[in-house]
Amino acid sequence: MINYKVIFNFLGFLLILNGIAMMFGIPFSIYYGDDDIFTLLFSGLSISTIGFITYYLTKDSNKDIKKREGYIVVTLGWLIMALFGAIPFIVHGSIPSVTDAFFETMSGFTTTGASILNDIEAMPHGLLFWRSFTQWLGGMGFIVLSLAILPILGIGGMQLFVAEVPGPTKDKIHPRIRETAKRLWGIYVLLTFVEVLLLLIGGMDLFDAINHAFTTMATGGFSTKQDSIAHFTSPFIQYVIILFMFLAGMNFSLHYYWLHRNFNPVKKNEEFKFYSFLIIAFATLIAIGLFMKGNIGVEKAIRDSLFQVVSIITTTGFITADYELWGVFFHALFFLMLFIGGSAGSTGGGVKVVRHLLLIKNSALELRRLVHPRAVIPVRYNDNSVSKDIIFNIMAFLLFYIAIFVTGTIVMTLVGLDFLTAMGSVATSLGNVGPAIEGVGPSDNFAHIPDIGKWILSFLMLLGRLELFTILIIFSPSFWKK
Amino acid sequence: MRIIIAGAGEVGFHLAKQLSSKEHDITIIDLDEAQIEKTGSASDIMSFLGSSTSIKILKEARVEDTDLVVAVTSNESVNVTTAILARKLGAKKTIARVGNAEYTSDENLDMIKSLGVDYLIYPEELAAREIVKLIKHSAATDIVDIESGKLSIVGIKIDENVPVLNMTMREIAEQYDISSFRVAAIHRGNETIIPSGDNRFKLNDHVFVITTQDGIKDVMKIVGKHEKNIQDLMILGGGKIGRKTAKLLEDKFNVKLIESNSDKAIELADYLRKTLIIEGDGRDIDLLAQEAIIDMDAFISVTEDAETNIITSLMAKHLGVKKTIAQVDNSDYVPLTKTIGLDSLINKKLIAANVISKFIKRSNIISSLSLPGLDAEVLEYFVKEGTPITKQMVKDLKLPKNVVLGGFIREDKGYITVGTTQFQTDDKVVVFALPEIINKVDSFFN
Repeated sequence: MINYKVIFNFLGFLLILNGIAMMFGIPFSIYYGDDDIFTLLFSGLSISTIGFITYYLTKDSNKDIKKREGYIVVTLGWLIMALFGAIPFIVHGSIPSVTDAFFETMSGFTTTGASILNDIEAMPHGLLFWRSFTQWLGGMGFIVLSLAILPILGIGGMQLFVAEVPGPTKDKIHPRIRETAKRLWGIYVLLTFVEVLLLLIGGMDLFDAINHAFTTMATGGFSTKQDSIAHFTSPFIQYVIILFMFLAGMNFSLHYYWLHRNFNPVKKNEEFKFYSFLIIAFATLIAIGLFMKGNIGVEKAIRDSLFQVVSIITTTGFITADYELWGVFFHALFFLMLFIGGSAGSTGGGVKVVRHLLLIKNSALELRRLVHPRAVIPVRYNDNSVSKDIIFNIMAFLLFYIAIFVTGTIVMTLVGLDFLTAMGSVATSLGNVGPAIEGVGPSDNFAHIPDIGKWILSFLMLLGRLELFTILIIFSPSFWKK
Repeated sequence: MRIIIAGAGEVGFHLAKQLSSKEHDITIIDLDEAQIEKTGSASDIMSFLGSSTSIKILKEARVEDTDLVVAVTSNESVNVTTAILARKLGAKKTIARVGNAEYTSDENLDMIKSLGVDYLIYPEELAAREIVKLIKHSAATDIVDIESGKLSIVGIKIDENVPVLNMTMREIAEQYDISSFRVAAIHRGNETIIPSGDNRFKLNDHVFVITTQDGIKDVMKIVGKHEKNIQDLMILGGGKIGRKTAKLLEDKFNVKLIESNSDKAIELADYLRKTLIIEGDGRDIDLLAQEAIIDMDAFISVTEDAETNIITSLMAKHLGVKKTIAQVDNSDYVPLTKTIGLDSLINKKLIAANVISKFIKRSNIISSLSLPGLDAEVLEYFVKEGTPITKQMVKDLKLPKNVVLGGFIREDKGYITVGTTQFQTDDKVVVFALPEIINKVDSFFN
């Protein structure tokens, strides 16, 4: 029996959170004299009221959350957050189409950063703030946030945590899931705060600084400017954002350790090393390429290359230069980078560096195993041998990922996109990146995609954010068998 | 409290599950990945794969900030070493599980303590002592002492011969003198009921009663169970529990012990001078018949194998043995065994966990107990000055449903709670409650 009551109880809580968070933008609207104050107040209050009623009616539910409830809560939770989160855009009329508003909000919560807005600066500040806030909530995960706030019984909390933060490695930094959630959010808030300060020092105004800090730390990529970060020509601001995208793409348990002056886990972490290596390798290659093409200084070549590479690999999606103008070789490189993803336990999306690392290791060892058929050659990661179960799990993940990418691409061409745009849009949605290639490149947006395509892409974003399995499990018959 | 548990076996698994649901920070260390996974998926804990005697792993588990280290692997040496290392590395208290009576004897206790092991538990010995209690009070299915017997929790099976069958608690209170005990919990099917005045005793209920020292007799009188006169008993299995039980019982009873391993049987014969040791397989019905199982008053099956214990006990029951006691460490079997008619179960890991829980302080809770199959919390609260519980008489407290403040200990003497009881500072109150209302109960004591 699935305990539906506790599912509704939790969804009620999420709606309260959703409604309250929405109203955080009101002070900015008041300050800038925008016309969305009533919209935010009305939407925020009614959503949190609906949430409260649901929560209250189910408050005596048995708080026993098992595996199945965990997956359902997380999937439904993400769906309703995006559905209700879209309401202020529709009510205000700045995004009149339900499809567009849902796409924009889902792109926000999943920290994809793909936008259908043609004129971002025309949006009222309160709604822009809410748009960035969705990314910030989705980055570390609002389910994890709820775990830190709600007194959920131990094991149930873990089912929810595992469903929202999957990944091949488990990094509990505290024995209790609730304390782990608190610490993760604590680090997230701290880093966001530091970034706001640095952006202010760099000359951004408070509104832009907060918005960009939110969307950087979430590896989201929404900007309050039509030109994204290219709008801010200050190298300092761009370097600050590079740094924080890099930090956000790291495993947050590593932040926890170095903040506690424990540098060993950071030094030892192979994923972190590989993540840094990939960024440096791609950035160097592209910087050299840019420099050789001419018309560009060394510093600018390095900065442009580094910014774009970090932005795509961490799945943020900020842009300071249009890589589509650089030539087809760079084109191909950036398309490849859509499939890398951040580190496990980061706010980044995509396949995740650790999965690539373990698969590469396993494949390389397979050659040795062929030479020595009877040898026991385990895959080693961070000085521990990795069990076969994990390797199989990663293989299944990658296979699903590729299958979904291929199927998605074909479906999108059916919807009417050209082949490269279809590939780009699917890869970028599934990887929660934002910009891609061709018709959805850095200087384009998603407004021109047909409605049905937007729904499909929204679904792919959610699929990617919850790392496939959480949602795929719900579609598997064995999940519903008694 | 921060607690490290070394060993994710039966005892460790149960402890981790029990403690992690009560706001303790549990870290578990074990060599076996499968065991760790199993424990991790059943409770909210952090786990380390490796040996608990590795200083590196203990440090990684932050042993220096740990309040309690419980070493309960199956290997005694590992446990003692773990405890000693943990203590030297900064753990505040350590408990080690041992399997050797020498360590727990009074003369050696100080020496062990000076090494850094604060407390030793020997679950097999505890189990043997519990068996002895059950033999002495043969009408009860379970006996758990609180504060060395000032209060006891006694389990009774309701069968057709019980005169109070189908009566409500209120009706019983009107007809009998119940001042020396209180019905605290009923286990019916898979359900646990904390009874109020309107609940009835039904057939096959397993009833848990809290009584004072003298109350056990009254309880037995009301449920129509008189202590069976036990003289001859048979023990199946000469492992640690069987051996210890025989040693404790052989002076007063006529004991037969069946052991299948011949070397062990010879060794047992040497150790147990008055017990008759029989070498053979306990599942062999001819052997049992030959040894006159029909004439036995009690049958105690304590082999390593729970299935053997269950089946032989059923066989004994079928042949008319008055009292059967079976060791069943697998908690999954507990609900089942109750329905098929076994008298008493001995669960080694529950016993160990109950003892360990005394070391785990949660605000003002002195200890917590688990009773086999019962899904209720049994907690011993310490009454602090000025808390809500002291403000009014029990009947005016507006207690929530599903809680019974069974009894209390005041100035070293046990009492049963009645409506007009008013708790005082320094009382220790034994509370039965369903898990979901523990928070409400907590608020009365804070």
